[in-house]
Amino acid sequence: MIKNYFNLALRHLSKNRTYAAINILGLATGVAACLLIFRLVRYELSFNTFFKNQDRIARVVTNDKSETEGEGFTPGIPVPAMDEMQQTVTQFAQFARIHTTWPTLSIPDPSGSSNAAAGRKFSTDDERETGIFAEPAFFHIFDWQWLAGDPKSSLTEPNSVVMARTMAEKCFGTWQMAVGQTVLMDNAVLLKVSGVVEDSPENSDFQCPLIISYATLKSNADLYGFHPEWGSTSSNDQAFVLLNDAGQWDAAVAALAKVGQEAHYKNSRGKRVHALQPLSDLHYDERYGSPAGTHVTRKNRLWVLSSIGLLVLVMACFNFVNLATAQAASRSREVGVRKSLGGSRGQLVAQFMGETGVIVTLAVAAGAALAAVCAPLLQYVSNVPNEQAFLSEPAAWSFLILTALVVSVGSGFYPALVLSGFEPVKALKNSITSRTVGGVSLRKVLVVGQFVIAQTLIIGTLVTISQVEFLQKMDLGFKPDLVYVIEGINSDSLNQSRFERFKNDLKALPAVKSSSFSSDVPSSGNNWASNFALGSTDDAPFNTFMKIVDADYFETYGLRLIAGKMIQPSDTARDIIVNEFMVKKLGYSNPEEVIGKKYRMGGGPLKPVVGVVADFTANSAREEMKPMAIFSRKEFYSTVGVKIAADNLPATTVEIQRLFESTFPEQVFNGQFLDERIAEFYRDEQRFSALCKGFAALAILISCLGLYGLATLSTVQRTKEIGIRKVLGASIGNVVGLLSKDFLLLVLLAALVAIPLAWYAMNAWLQDFVYRTALSWWLFAGTVGLSLVIAFVTVGVRTWSAARANPVRSLRSE
Amino acid sequence: MVELKDIERYYQNGASKAWVLRNITAHIAEGEFVSIMGPSGSGKSTLLHILGMLDEPTDGEYWFLGEAVHKFNERRRTELYQQYLGFVFQAYHLIDDLTVYENLETPLLYKKVPSSERKSRIADLLDRFNMVAKKDLFPNQLSGGQQQLVGVARALIGNPRLILADEPTGNLQSPQAKEIMEVFQKLNKEDGVTIIQVTHSDVNARYGNRILHLMDGNVEREELVK
Repeated sequence: MIKNYFNLALRHLSKNRTYAAINILGLATGVAACLLIFRLVRYELSFNTFFKNQDRIARVVTNDKSETEGEGFTPGIPVPAMDEMQQTVTQFAQFARIHTTWPTLSIPDPSGSSNAAAGRKFSTDDERETGIFAEPAFFHIFDWQWLAGDPKSSLTEPNSVVMARTMAEKCFGTWQMAVGQTVLMDNAVLLKVSGVVEDSPENSDFQCPLIISYATLKSNADLYGFHPEWGSTSSNDQAFVLLNDAGQWDAAVAALAKVGQEAHYKNSRGKRVHALQPLSDLHYDERYGSPAGTHVTRKNRLWVLSSIGLLVLVMACFNFVNLATAQAASRSREVGVRKSLGGSRGQLVAQFMGETGVIVTLAVAAGAALAAVCAPLLQYVSNVPNEQAFLSEPAAWSFLILTALVVSVGSGFYPALVLSGFEPVKALKNSITSRTVGGVSLRKVLVVGQFVIAQTLIIGTLVTISQVEFLQKMDLGFKPDLVYVIEGINSDSLNQSRFERFKNDLKALPAVKSSSFSSDVPSSGNNWASNFALGSTDDAPFNTFMKIVDADYFETYGLRLIAGKMIQPSDTARDIIVNEFMVKKLGYSNPEEVIGKKYRMGGGPLKPVVGVVADFTANSAREEMKPMAIFSRKEFYSTVGVKIAADNLPATTVEIQRLFESTFPEQVFNGQFLDERIAEFYRDEQRFSALCKGFAALAILISCLGLYGLATLSTVQRTKEIGIRKVLGASIGNVVGLLSKDFLLLVLLAALVAIPLAWYAMNAWLQDFVYRTALSWWLFAGTVGLSLVIAFVTVGVRTWSAARANPVRSLRSE
Repeated sequence: MVELKDIERYYQNGASKAWVLRNITAHIAEGEFVSIMGPSGSGKSTLLHILGMLDEPTDGEYWFLGEAVHKFNERRRTELYQQYLGFVFQAYHLIDDLTVYENLETPLLYKKVPSSERKSRIADLLDRFNMVAKKDLFPNQLSGGQQQLVGVARALIGNPRLILADEPTGNLQSPQAKEIMEVFQKLNKEDGVTIIQVTHSDVNARYGNRILHLMDGNVEREELVK
């Protein structure tokens, strides 16, 4: 019986090739899209799930609530608060502090020379990797795969480091050689390799090639910005815990909430509470970020992608239902015969479902092949690494089989029910036409549904594109073009003594206009904040953010003063510039009013405010404008920006690199143009917009396949009518219009649904951005216009040939 | 075997009823070969469809082998159908996508006959109708007469006790028509299969032993064939 169905299905398909091609092509693209999204979502959801104690692991975080500033979230914990937690929260079985760092390593010259520059240098890859100082408990909480050394003792001694395999191989050739060797970190600290662990899997938020003992941090506190004070909260200082028992979660949270309250947090502005973030949230909560530099993915976005994949598949199923019911009329005779031969309705349903099953199986196979071909593209639009093997995973297979089953039933059942329900006498008399089958209205609803999805996706794509464009072109308040930036410079005393010389050497290059050392570039991820007072002895009711810069910063980055004058060249903070936003936030109406006022930061000395800078985007456009204080302090400089002339850029950058390497021989050179660096802020948006483009294109393709199929059937069924109309004098245009009109109306109808839907969704998406593009009407009008044109072309291609056919022939054949 | 009591078939057309069959009462015994004749629109095809359980009467009773068909649901009718009936159509109604062999096999598949028995029954029939060489051809590769032979063979494959034929020779030329009618006659005489056929042709009608003449939905008269 099954063989019979299978044969019949194949013969039927080969006889109706257009129909089969449309169905298989549509379904295959839908399946491929779903499979790729499945891969992406599965990858993102797999983060940190391989740790043995995963349900008992958490990160301690800090939540601030202030009436003036709203809520603040940070993974940073003041170090004294960690001490208190460790003593008072009894539910913690293990407590491990970490401190993040991005070090440069050099391998001391084997000849014993102390000149680090002579040896080889390595740095962590800033994009992806983070070095951490960690307490020994870190390895009790997280199980790493040890190649050499002992998890219990490797981090107990000061100046010891555990390396990941690849890092060890980079430094020493093979990891077996590593243990016992010495490396010099940041040209200051000698570390002895005490262990080697396997590299973290890709789906780990702990991409840590260097894990250095915490005792090392304490003995080099100044160098690594280790400030064990209640007032200092840095996201570099984080704490991970292992609970005794997952059931003690609430008790632990309650105990944590008491930490610091009485003695330290009571009188501060607003309310500060420590809380627990479960390991399972680590990868998905943007408020706290990832502990070690890897990306964070909002779960929301994963759900949006999953729904898009599902919608594309649903559209392909709609095609199937539409074509199958529209075509049912031509199979009515077969149904009649089969019923007269004793076929029961159940047997007929089984037959038609079997045919659907064959089509779906072919489509799923084609889809899997398509997905395999397209899989490498995923790395350009997402964080999924490019691995060859994913189709051989059982999960991928289960997903495909499940998809095949769901699609077979979802798209085959209704047509099978319609076909098997024909009354045999009518079916045999050929009195069933497509107009009487399955309801014209059902097909119309499905076509409208497809175009609603397609148009929503097109609008979504246009909005994301225009937002990304907007972000890249918006006025940042400074000029990021032609500024070449070198980051990651250690501000040890040796390097500090070289800053001035480096600037002078740069000035000697003809292409260099100006250069500036600073803590960071104007638009960066830096969120360093402090309490402060301005024009008053009391602290202001909000924190100030800081940029620490030399006097050439404004010229190099093109920042604009709106009042007062520049800070004086100085190695320490002698005077201060604040931004316009701070002036307003403090309640002054005129920037001039703050000039000359005294400013105090933290518990430091009073300094005069000498200038006000026009507001600039200090972080990404996703973040709000912040009150900002700008001043000098040499030991915080780690970045140099060089403004250069536009001509012969490669030669200039090579020259800068040569100069940098000869001035700072221990440093790893890490240079980049500022505008490229800023573009990286929006990589996520760009990737999302690229994904949207892809899926919008797929949605259009699938809806057009469906339209083409329906147009084909409708022209075939109306051949005689077309002939008669032409004999009566209709022009080709009349006929094409007649046949296309209905389809175009459906597209317009879909627009009525899609526009409010897309407006609502994209408006919500844009709320994530502080700076956002307007949802202009032409996006919507353009989309409707575009889909009308595409639909008209699709239908027109089919109807044109029908309209041109010689009427005599079509009438004779009837 | 077949007992019709006051069978009526009409279409509600607004307030008026369009009658197709009216007050049909008839008895057909096992082993008979009955022809139904009448002009176009007299209701003979509808009557045959009702007899073949492809259509339902609006009113009246239909007893088949002592069972009340008019009270059956579709599933019971399908069972009865599979067990006792075979249908032959004017337009042959072979399934285009299936070979001769597969066309013959289809009713057996629906009856869930085991594979070995299917093979022997089909082989048997192909032999009997001299079509062994044609078993792998598709219907459109056969002449009309050959297609109808397959149609008859297919009706016989389930060993039915009643064959219903709707103008079985209507699309055929007379030598081929004669061949088909002789097959029917032989089936009736030698195998004892009951046959009811609808026909326009007086010649063909006389292959049977009784003729029902229909006029405007009524049985106008009955005629016994000598």
